[in-house]
Parts: sequence; C-alpha cells; structure tokens
Amino acid sequence: MRAARDRDWLGGLSGAAAVLSGGAFLTLMGFLLIDALPALQLDFLLSPSTSRLPDGTGIGPAVVGSAWILLIAAALALPVGIGTAVYLEEYARRRRTATAVGRALDGLAAVPPVVHGVVGLAVFVRALGMGATILAGGCTLATLALPAVVSTAREALRSVSPEVRLAAYSLGATKWQVVRRELLPTAAPSLVAGSCLTLSRAIGEAAPLLVLGAVSFITFVPAAPGDPLVSLPTQVFAWTTRAHADFAALAAAASVALLAAMVGLRLAGAVLGRALQRSAR
Amino acid sequence: MNRSASGRSPVLVAEDLSVSFAGKVALEGVSLAIPRGCLTALIGPEGGGKSTLLRSFNRLNELTPGAVTAGIVRLNGVDIHQGGVDAATVRRKVGMVFPEATLFPRSIFDNVAFGLRASGQVEELHNRIEEALTTVGLWSGIADTLDARALSLAPGDRQRLCFARTLALRPEVLLLDEPTTALDSAATARIESLVHGLKGDYTIVLATSGRRQAARLSELTAYLEGGELVEHGPTETIFTNPRDARTESYLTGRFR
Repeated sequence: MRAARDRDWLGGLSGAAAVLSGGAFLTLMGFLLIDALPALQLDFLLSPSTSRLPDGTGIGPAVVGSAWILLIAAALALPVGIGTAVYLEEYARRRRTATAVGRALDGLAAVPPVVHGVVGLAVFVRALGMGATILAGGCTLATLALPAVVSTAREALRSVSPEVRLAAYSLGATKWQVVRRELLPTAAPSLVAGSCLTLSRAIGEAAPLLVLGAVSFITFVPAAPGDPLVSLPTQVFAWTTRAHADFAALAAAASVALLAAMVGLRLAGAVLGRALQRSAR
Repeated sequence: MNRSASGRSPVLVAEDLSVSFAGKVALEGVSLAIPRGCLTALIGPEGGGKSTLLRSFNRLNELTPGAVTAGIVRLNGVDIHQGGVDAATVRRKVGMVFPEATLFPRSIFDNVAFGLRASGQVEELHNRIEEALTTVGLWSGIADTLDARALSLAPGDRQRLCFARTLALRPEVLLLDEPTTALDSAATARIESLVHGLKGDYTIVLATSGRRQAARLSELTAYLEGGELVEHGPTETIFTNPRDARTESYLTGRFR
C-alpha cells in the first residue's frame, strides 16, 4: 500500500514538473507575442534597412545576415564535422589519435559561446583579416557548432548495425565504399535531423557575434559574406538596450522571427530526416 | 605439415594461428588445412572459437577494435596478411554468410549487385545476378520483382539472398557462420539442401552448433573448444570414434 501511495505522490510531483516545463514555454511565447504584435508587420519583416528610430525600421538585413551565417556555418561545420566523425568511427577506432581528437572536441564543447567570440575576434576578424563581417560570424559559429555536429554524426554512424557493416566488408567493399554506400546513406536521416538541430542552436547565439563586432544599424541588405555582420539575435540584443518603449516591441517581434526560424529549421530537419528514412526502407 | 584429411590440396591453411580481442584470447595455436572442394564443419560450444577462426580466413577480425592476430593464414599458398595482399581481394575470393540475414536496406537487385559494383565488375551485372539467384533457387520466384525491397522477403529467402549476394562474386571459398541459426526447420532444410548442392563447386567451411547439421553436410569436422583446435578429421571418424574425451562429451551432449 505504501508503495502505491509513494507512486501517486511521485506521479503528482512529476506531473506538476511537466506542467511547469510546458507552461514555461507557453508563457514565454504568450508574452513575446503580446509584446511583438504591434510591431509584427510585413514591412517590418521585409524592410531593407534598420534605422536608429523605431519608425520605419525592420529586420530584413538581420534575417538575410542570419541566413548567410547559417549557410556559411553549415558549409564549414557539416563537412568537417561529419568527416571527423567518419574518421573517428571508421578509420581510427580506439586508436590514440581518436582519443586525442575526442578529448579536444570535448574541450571545444565546454568553451562558452562568448569565448568562441573572443577567439573568433582574434583569429577570423584580426589574424585572418576578415573584419567584422558575415564571413567571420559564420566561421565563428561553425567552430561553436562543430563539437555537436561531430557527436551527432558519431551517434548516427554508430546506429548503423554492425552486422550490415561487416557484411559490406565481407563482400569485398573498401573502407571508403562502406562509408559512402552504407554508413552515410543509412545514417543520413539522423545526420540531417541532428545537424539541423545543432545549427538552429548556433544561429540563435548572440554573444559570440556581439564580441566580433556585429552592427545594429545598417542601411542595406547584406549581399555577400564580406558585408558587415548583422544577425537576428544581435539585433534583438541591440533593441533591448534602447530606452525608447517602442524598441521593446521591435525586440519582441525580432525574437518571434528568430524563434520561428529556429523552430522552422528543426522542423525541416525532422521532416527531411523522416522522408529520407522512408525512402531508404 | 597438416595432412589434409581427404588427400586433396588445401585451399586455406592456418598455421599456429592465435587471435585475441583486447587481450582476451579467442583462438590459440590453431593449425588446420581446409582441402579444396570439401565441406569442413567447425563444431564446438559457443565461444569455442568457431566464428573467430572463420573470420580469420577472410580477415574480418581486423575490423574489430583491439583484435590482434598472430600466426599465418594462407590462401592458395599466399599469406593473406602479407604486405601486398589487399583485404578486399581476399574477401572477394573468400565469401561469407552470417548467422542473421544482414541485407542492405535496398532492393533485391542492389543487394546482389553490391559486391560486383564494389569491385567494378559491372559489365555483366544482370547475368551474374541471374546466375547467383538461380543457384540459390530464388530466380523463378523473384525475377519480376528485383526492385522490391530485400527486407520484404521471408526470413528463409532473405538468407538465401545473402548466399546469392556472396555467390555473385564467384568466390573460391564459402565461409558459413551458423547460417541457419535464425531460421525455422523448413527454411533450415532449404538452406541445407542449397549448401549440399554447392558442395564440390566450392570449398566450404561451415561453423555450426548443430551437431546433426555437421554430420549431415560435412566430409571433415574440426572440434574447437576454448579457442583450441581439439581435433579434426573425417566427419565419420570424429562422430563415431573421437580421440579426445572433450570431443566425445560434446558430441554425446554431456558438455557442461
């Protein structure tokens, strides 16, 4: 009887915790939307420039800037991260290099985003002479996302049944053929879903981009990686530091756009992953 | 050296072969010759070293992290661990079928074509696939549905497809690792008759925990226990008149 009562008690407590967690998200979204509603207009989303005044400003450049950053970070972090995972899982299993690289990645994962910004400032902005550009932002977020991409990719590669892997080798396939024809296609669904999740986290980061020197006022939509660094999260931050009450609504509206982009990316990853899985079966 | 029990020349020879995984010994000092065209059965309790010995013949052990091999394995007289020998080439000559049907999640055609495509033998792809599927007795049933997913086949047919996939490469040796262990009795009977039909055309090494299966199919039998080759010889001799007490107790079912 006592056990049963304990269970009820635990059930109630964990249920309350679950309601609290779900509630936190809904409350956040609710307040954000209420604040954002007055500013959420089409010309706000599409405006080609940000202004120092609340009127007539918008997030067009920031949206495009974030899209650029996403593309650059993905183009760098995905091949390097997946390549690293393939090497660690297939070529260097249990060897010393694998352990060393694994430790280094664990270290990289423990570095706070703002410190990535500091390193990015020293390496990409200054040493490599990129300046405070979208390119430098993309490179910095790529290093930020790299450890997560590697660990997601390793998980995905490990999910391929070892028997199927051995069967491929037993049929005279080379390592590269096994990786390309078996491991990557089979792991593709979780690779895609995991990568989108990781990248969606990365494009939500403001701290490293602020350190690099992101601008909050720009009169044109960035058209190339060499253009000044603008992004949604840094735009949100910039507006929250302004005293004028209208900026609160702008920050909220930009936050909604950022959230929508992140959720959209995750959803796209999940949907694409599932579609790949279906077509593989 | 190893007299091949049937008097025929050996295709595969293991000389003082030892294998360990991360320091744990799986095979110790095994010397055995596999004569050409014969079916040699490897029998013995689980963990006795049957699978490890099979996987020594096609260099599959080296894919397991921490595996260390000592001793020599010769295929047609050539040491397969020698510097210039390519593992993929060895595996094409020494094919393998696993306990569970390990099909790729693709079409029937793609599964059988896998090894041929991997080795660039794509000129007669369709003929080779037809030939392999005919040999295993699947062709008439699935000739029109080669694009169907391989995993949609019945378990027994899946295992036969694994045989076809291996045979498509026209190997010299077939390593069969408990090929019927996951199958019901009807499917087992079909696989056994397939193996029976392949005898003579191929040199076959069959690892099995089915004593009767070994007795039914093999000419030669080797008994392994604790990573050691206890004894080997003509199947009839091993089964009716084993020299070693361990073999006798295993065969009479008194083992453990």
